Amino acid sequence: MALLEVQDICKSFGNFKAVDTVSFKVESGKIYGLLGPNGAGKTTTIRMIMNILIPDSGTISLFGEPISEKTKSKIGYLPEERGIFQKMKVRELLTFFTELHGLPLAQGKKLAGEWLEKLELSNWADKKVEELSKGMQQKLQFASTILHDPELIILDEPFSGLDPVNVNLIKNIMLEIKSSGKTIIFSTHMMEAAEKLCDDILMIQKGVKVLDGPINQIREQYGKNSLRLEYSGDVQYIQKSKAVKSIHDYSNSAEIELHEGFTPNDLLTDLLPEITIHSLLSRQSSLNEIFLQLAGGVDNE
Amino acid sequence: MNKIWALIKREYKETVFKKSFIFMTLLTPLLMIAMGVVPSLLMNLENEVQVKFNVIDQSGFVFPKMAAQLSDTLKNGEPKYVFNNILNSEVELEQILEEQKALIQKEEIDGLILIPADAVEKGKIELYAKNVADYSQNRTLRNTIGKIVINHRIIDSGLDPELVAKLSSPLELTTIKITKEGKEAERGFIDEYFSTFIFILILYMTLIVHGSTIMRSIIQEKSSRIIEVLLGSANPFQLMAGKIIGHGSVGLTQYVIWSAFGILMLLYGGNVMPMSAKYFSFSPSIFIYFIVFYLLGYLFYSALFSAIGSITNSDQEAQQLIFPVIMFLIVPLMMLGFMVKSPNSSIITIMSLIPFFSPIMMFGRINISNPPFIEIAGSILILIASTILVIWLVSKIFRVGILMYGKRPTFPEIIKWFSYK
Repeated sequence: MALLEVQDICKSFGNFKAVDTVSFKVESGKIYGLLGPNGAGKTTTIRMIMNILIPDSGTISLFGEPISEKTKSKIGYLPEERGIFQKMKVRELLTFFTELHGLPLAQGKKLAGEWLEKLELSNWADKKVEELSKGMQQKLQFASTILHDPELIILDEPFSGLDPVNVNLIKNIMLEIKSSGKTIIFSTHMMEAAEKLCDDILMIQKGVKVLDGPINQIREQYGKNSLRLEYSGDVQYIQKSKAVKSIHDYSNSAEIELHEGFTPNDLLTDLLPEITIHSLLSRQSSLNEIFLQLAGGVDNE
Repeated sequence: MNKIWALIKREYKETVFKKSFIFMTLLTPLLMIAMGVVPSLLMNLENEVQVKFNVIDQSGFVFPKMAAQLSDTLKNGEPKYVFNNILNSEVELEQILEEQKALIQKEEIDGLILIPADAVEKGKIELYAKNVADYSQNRTLRNTIGKIVINHRIIDSGLDPELVAKLSSPLELTTIKITKEGKEAERGFIDEYFSTFIFILILYMTLIVHGSTIMRSIIQEKSSRIIEVLLGSANPFQLMAGKIIGHGSVGLTQYVIWSAFGILMLLYGGNVMPMSAKYFSFSPSIFIYFIVFYLLGYLFYSALFSAIGSITNSDQEAQQLIFPVIMFLIVPLMMLGFMVKSPNSSIITIMSLIPFFSPIMMFGRINISNPPFIEIAGSILILIASTILVIWLVSKIFRVGILMYGKRPTFPEIIKWFSYK
């Protein structure tokens, strides 16, 4: 059974359709990516899962029951727009969030202490949040969304506005959460990050689903095998090869796409006698390219 | 419920331990004391200076009696008023006047009193001085000389001045207030006005202060993007309830501190504020009504303030929207004089039933005139019903508003929000 099941949800604001008949399923124990450019409807979708916005139509069920205020305590939610109480003390802040997540005070205090250790913020426990550095505040915020050990963690644009060090930090925490059997849904417009982290993805554009599924399947289905060739010699010989479907030539290197049924070996057989080859690199197309290829089509309609 | 509790606690702690709160809570009673003490201190500090007047008494009978009539003394025993008769029939009046005016300019004398020969018939005298705005001094001079002139007239007409004084002694009216408890209290307009005014001012101030604090904290949490983090675990209604109840308890805390202060003043403050006992002797039921109307008025107005906070992005933007709300609070304040005069007139009765005005108006009426219980109950019930309605409407606005950034929504847009799921 899927952990989260979203069925045909729609949401309009006035005349603007933010999300239009989107369905998807999130399996337990996976990292699920919600991809799309800015304004695609990712945040609106997440807010509906969080019961912050209520869909105009369609259903969302979590752990097999319709979402409600009760299911919220099983979720850890990090919104896109982040804020933190600047005037509160660090320990108080963490304790407050455990209480807000419905944990008893004693347990909350214990958890807050543990997380302060884990984040190496123990020395700052009685300082005000505003005295911490940006990076520490990010860590603190992240901790406050997951310290009640939720089954499902929803992160809206977790990497936006972070420096590479903190991006890495968050990535590591995400992988750690995954390995402990928890489920993560996160939205991003950074396809490369998604490519490395996600098991499954949903791509949306202008509120409409473009595609969804396991990332490997999507690559196989939509990805093209392209070759990057560095050479010296006459480009004519490459163009003449039966294996070549299309070529972008940059005079001493070329992007080559092969016809179906041909392998790089077939190309090499044709070229070896004619030109000098410095390197040949086979690469799969990136999610970004797949997205542009599919969403670009949507765009032109 | 636990979530609301966590939110209330956070809100309460953050506000009560803020410096501005501690400052205001302690400063207000001090200000009140100052208001009571300073005027009497100023009275005692009244200028200890001898005032010199030259007098031109053409009538001839006034001057000799003046010093006896005006026998006020300074602390050192010297007479406060010194009069010199400078009547000189050999010199033209015009010329004397010129000379005296020059003396006044040089501040050698404080003034010149001219009593014409026909003062008794025409009833007119003149005072020349640099400062003619000293109301109490003018009155003293007028009364003193007036008495002398009147006495003269009475004697002239052959009557006995003492008999006349006896016959024309004025009537005194003592007003005694009948309260619900059947107690009688000697109170007048000024007493009613002040005691009601102080309570109403406290109501008005706390409603505005705590209401706008809520508004500002919503705007701040909106602009620092904390709201959505909180929405991750609580719903908008819980957020609103946490804010309103949290700040409401802050207000009650403040009242408790102030009441404690007031009780101390009553017990030990007699020397500092001799008037306090008179103004602050209330029956306990007044305090109960005060708390009831504070709580209801607070819920009503803080809901309105929360709505404003939720649809705006900055204090400046909110300023324009607050204005009408504050107007509703100011109207009863402006009508206070009228209310004290005729607390049961139809306009005051109607206004004390309208929820926008009733917290202040009905409480004011209860304090002044013991209105029929049915009206008090009606006012409270209407206020409760409309508070529930307002909170329901505001929670709809709040839910959509707190997630809206950027442009402030227009009124038709807000109406549309009510239909959002």
